[in-house]
Amino acid sequence: MTLQEDFEPDILGFLCNWCSYASADLAGVSRMQYPPNVKIIRVMCSARVDPTIVLEAFIQGLDGVMVLGCHLGTCHYMTGNYYTERRMKTTKNVLKNVGLSPERLRVDWVSAAEGERFVSLVREFTEKVRKLGPLGKETDLELEQLKTRLTAAKEALAQQRIRWLVGRERELVEDKNVFGEKVSQEEFDQLMFQTIEKEFAKRRILLSMGEDALSVREIAQIVGASPREVLRNMVFLERAGLVSVVRIEGNSPKYQRTGGS
Amino acid sequence: MEEKTRAVLVIGGGIAGIQAALDLGDMGIKVHLVERKPAIGGRMAQLDKTFPTNDCSICILAPKLADCFRQPNITLHTLSEVKNVTGQMGDFSVKLRKYARFVKENECTNCGECATKCPVKVPDEFDMELRKREAIYPYYLQGVPAVMTIDRENCLYLTRGVCRICEKFCTRKAIDFEQKDTDITLHVGAVIVATGFDPFDPSGIPQYGYKRYRNVIMSLEYERLICASGPTGGHLTRPSDKKPAETIAFIQCVGSRDIKNNRYCSSVCCMHATKEAMLAYEHNPKVKSYIFYIDLRAAGKGFQKYVARGEQEYNISYIRSRAAKITEDQKENPIVWYEEPQSSKTKKMTVDLAVLATSLMPRKDVEELAKVLGVELDEYNFFKTNPLSPLDTTRPGIFVCGCCREPTDIPESVAQASGASGRAAETVMR
Amino acid sequence: MNEVRVGVFVCHCGTNIGGFLDVPELAKYALNLPNVVFAKDNQYTCSEAGLTEIKNAIAEKKLNRVVVASCTPRTHEPLFMSTCKDAGLNPYLFQFVNIRDQCSWVHMQDRERATEKAKALIRMGVARAVLLEPLEETEVEVNPCALVIGGGITGMTCALSLANRGFEVKLIEKEDRLGGTLNSLYKLYPTNEEASRLVQEKTREVEKNPKIEVLASSEVKEVEGFVGNYNVTVRQGEKERLFKAGVIIVATGAETLKPVDMYGYDGKTVVTQLELERMLKGGRLNADTVVMIQCVGSRNEKRAYCSKVCCLTALKNAMLIKEANPDAQVFVLYRDMVTQGTKYEDYYGKARETGITFIKYSLERQPVLENGSVRVYDEPLGEELILPYDLVVLSTPMIAHNDSRDLAQKMKVPVDENGFFLEAHVKLRPVDFATDGIYMCGCAHWPANLSESISQAYGAASRASIPMSVGHVKTEPLIPVIDEDKCSGCGLCELTCPFKAIQVEETEKGRKAKVMAASCKGCGACGAGCPERAITMRHFTDEQLVAQVFALAEVTP
Repeated sequence: MTLQEDFEPDILGFLCNWCSYASADLAGVSRMQYPPNVKIIRVMCSARVDPTIVLEAFIQGLDGVMVLGCHLGTCHYMTGNYYTERRMKTTKNVLKNVGLSPERLRVDWVSAAEGERFVSLVREFTEKVRKLGPLGKETDLELEQLKTRLTAAKEALAQQRIRWLVGRERELVEDKNVFGEKVSQEEFDQLMFQTIEKEFAKRRILLSMGEDALSVREIAQIVGASPREVLRNMVFLERAGLVSVVRIEGNSPKYQRTGGS
Repeated sequence: MEEKTRAVLVIGGGIAGIQAALDLGDMGIKVHLVERKPAIGGRMAQLDKTFPTNDCSICILAPKLADCFRQPNITLHTLSEVKNVTGQMGDFSVKLRKYARFVKENECTNCGECATKCPVKVPDEFDMELRKREAIYPYYLQGVPAVMTIDRENCLYLTRGVCRICEKFCTRKAIDFEQKDTDITLHVGAVIVATGFDPFDPSGIPQYGYKRYRNVIMSLEYERLICASGPTGGHLTRPSDKKPAETIAFIQCVGSRDIKNNRYCSSVCCMHATKEAMLAYEHNPKVKSYIFYIDLRAAGKGFQKYVARGEQEYNISYIRSRAAKITEDQKENPIVWYEEPQSSKTKKMTVDLAVLATSLMPRKDVEELAKVLGVELDEYNFFKTNPLSPLDTTRPGIFVCGCCREPTDIPESVAQASGASGRAAETVMR
Repeated sequence: MNEVRVGVFVCHCGTNIGGFLDVPELAKYALNLPNVVFAKDNQYTCSEAGLTEIKNAIAEKKLNRVVVASCTPRTHEPLFMSTCKDAGLNPYLFQFVNIRDQCSWVHMQDRERATEKAKALIRMGVARAVLLEPLEETEVEVNPCALVIGGGITGMTCALSLANRGFEVKLIEKEDRLGGTLNSLYKLYPTNEEASRLVQEKTREVEKNPKIEVLASSEVKEVEGFVGNYNVTVRQGEKERLFKAGVIIVATGAETLKPVDMYGYDGKTVVTQLELERMLKGGRLNADTVVMIQCVGSRNEKRAYCSKVCCLTALKNAMLIKEANPDAQVFVLYRDMVTQGTKYEDYYGKARETGITFIKYSLERQPVLENGSVRVYDEPLGEELILPYDLVVLSTPMIAHNDSRDLAQKMKVPVDENGFFLEAHVKLRPVDFATDGIYMCGCAHWPANLSESISQAYGAASRASIPMSVGHVKTEPLIPVIDEDKCSGCGLCELTCPFKAIQVEETEKGRKAKVMAASCKGCGACGAGCPERAITMRHFTDEQLVAQVFALAEVTP
């Protein structure tokens, strides 16, 4: 068991070419010192960062992820970081569903001239993650369980309905939908929250089934939810053609994945 | 058409000169971009943020600097000056003096080792003399070309024949004291003048106490103080005791709208004072700013809203009164004396810091340049133009843009620079 | 030859990297990474010697991927990419690893941990390099014809500038004659030049120019295409014509607000500045006392902007009144006198010398018209004044044409909250739209005086001439690639892209997203949001990014 003080967080940073990556370079040119926990991947715009990739980083055991872009309103590609903001907000919500602290994902904005700000962000975040501990310490899950949940979360974020909602958030909340209605941020957040929960639950069930044919009770046990909740989801999944009843044992239908996604 | 007359000379490597050079280069026209300082970037590189978006100046400038450096049609001549221009539109002959840098541009990697060894310390010009630099130095950290320069007036070897420590420590053998100033001749079809401005020296208004009182500074000095890459790392501290400045007075029209100094309006100061006050508040929400003005000029796109935001969200008060004089108390706090609007009573306001919005003026040696170019200056020594041909000087084939034409903000300077490049292109393609 | 062969070059950069990381160790480490067949360290990879080493290694070791671990790609990537190109290797098969600015320089106190971090970064870089694919930059031809919408002074100046450079220009004008706003003006500040004379001169120049085709009484009906290849349908009466243009310039100007229900406006004794000019032009002014009110309908909550030209217009007309009738009393009621710069401040000075009275009022206490007088609170004086008048002139702001939003929609370009066209970048691209190949100038962009409009017209012409001069535009190699089988035509990508570089179109397979490579900037915002995961971003694919994640975690995928 590692002591808190000995724990060196393993952190991944996605930095955009025009602002945050440049600020990191400026910190270098100015010889500002900071701890070596953050490893940087360069992207052209922070909006390139697909939420599923952030989840992948956690699945692979990284303790923290940073996504840094230009200050809002100054994105080199005009509107990219507005999308980053909203996508990462959803990603944080999904982390909550998994049971992880959403603070393991840090989204922030740095301009190319702010070498010092970049360094303080890195220092601050490294300490924050150090305090949170290795990935999963805040849950009581075993590593395998955590990975399964994270995978379910990643698959949820890959689903069409969630991506569609996330992508249209800006338009719906700031502009109008086709009926000329505007959606309030609270209403949207509520809808998003519910949708994510549902999708996450579905994915967890699917993942838990593997190749086997399982009954509702068996699935409920693996996933740790009530049989009624599981049954509700099975109905949806069956309708969507993702599972089917392959046989009946006694009174219990046995469901199996159909192989679709 | 002969190759030689298709090139264009751009004098001045600030944002206007850079934009003109980039537009011409992108059109396929060869450009000689001449800049007298060791690196391009001009005044815009000295600013922290720019109105009305408050985006970081160097962040939006740096990609343009890199583009200039890489554009194959642009030949960058830094540390160079135009000494002579003969000929006519379509066929000018230009004598360019390239001053020795004493550093090999191809070898220097800007690692900075040499500067750590140099024993000389002199005031840094880019940072408005608010800090010291060595005799071998980068003009500014993000400057292009990204190489060091030796200041011949202060280098011990070049003035007294001793030292040469930098040379010993340069692992790239990039230091070369044998370099000489050279003159070259360029053949161009058109010339664009984009030489920018110098700030008015507020010592010319002794009642404001500039240089007498340490906490009375001028706007470019403020810009360097508030800038994240400036001498105080962006911390707005008083020059006298390094304490944070929490009450700030911005005095407008210093050296402009003034019969004794310059009658004209410097155009951009209402806006940049608002910006500077906003930045102070952003750095420290305890800051309260007072802007002493005559007429508030915020006519550009988004400018009026910017000023309204300043008033409503950034703790700025606008006082319609021209500051009469500034004195100071025992703690070196500046005291601004002014006539209160409406009551006409004389009032005093004690502040932590006073910032003088100094007028933009033509460069100190502009008359010499005008003579070399054979163009006329107006009564204020800005390059003379006609309202209906706003980018043409009085000599055919020589065009002008930016602050050397008239005090102008960045968006207009950029539009003018593109315009001047178009005019120059018309000339060389004829 | 499908084998991936990676060569890694780790740079000492003198002591900048070598002084803080174990560089030979890094080269040795790299050699043991999957797919790496060659690795070495050198003093200065960017020197002639270093570059030659890379080229030789590519040839001798048959490398098809090159990784350089040194300073920062922001300065040196283009150099190494062109080195690869010189050696016959596609430049997009090059990967940069930043171990100086983001490693050795910032972890100077901890050699061991810094070296471990550098190992991780190199590992990540190699993993990406393996998945890189060669990319070609293609070109799209640009039609050397410009379409200028708006035949006022701005549009005409722009058209002439382009025509003088040898480009074909189509000049579209809504009214039946050229001249725009200047047709309604009398004299121009600061020279008192006659507006009609200037219009005549420019119109003659335009009509004489063989490169310019003028379409009067015409309007733009539809705009399609992308930079270099725009198809514009123009309606002239009953006829419709299709034009092919490489670039489009918007010079549609602005209107002046009619002060309906403001200050008892009646067009007779309470008039606008435009109406005053008409009176002055016709010599029909019979007023001994004129009161001008500035900022009518502007700089308020509804229209929170300053229209820039009204102060000067008032000064101009006030001086003309005084010129015609030196005994006339003229009052100008203003909030701020906006006369910026060298020429206009002088103009203000001149106006004051002619005996015009300036009275400053504030937004909180506006002038009131009652019983044939104007009651105004003079702020500096602190007193209320009553001014009996013969004529009141209201200075109203320029506003966007009521069909500007309509035109904007046709061209798929944005307008700001006031209806003025929105530029790509307020500071650095004031005359460009974000959509490549479309530009703007003059009052269509924002209220501008004549001098500024002319500068901008030259500016827009210059910017528009760039793609036309080159003859082609390079298409972005970092484009999205659409898997049409997955694409559902939902249009989210089109919504996300601010450059209109990806649009949904009808195809035989149904509605599908199509990429306009010439307008794409390679940001990847569309790809990361596609609901069907139908988009692959070239050079920054999901696989490449995920490979870097796996490499960091030291997991074999």
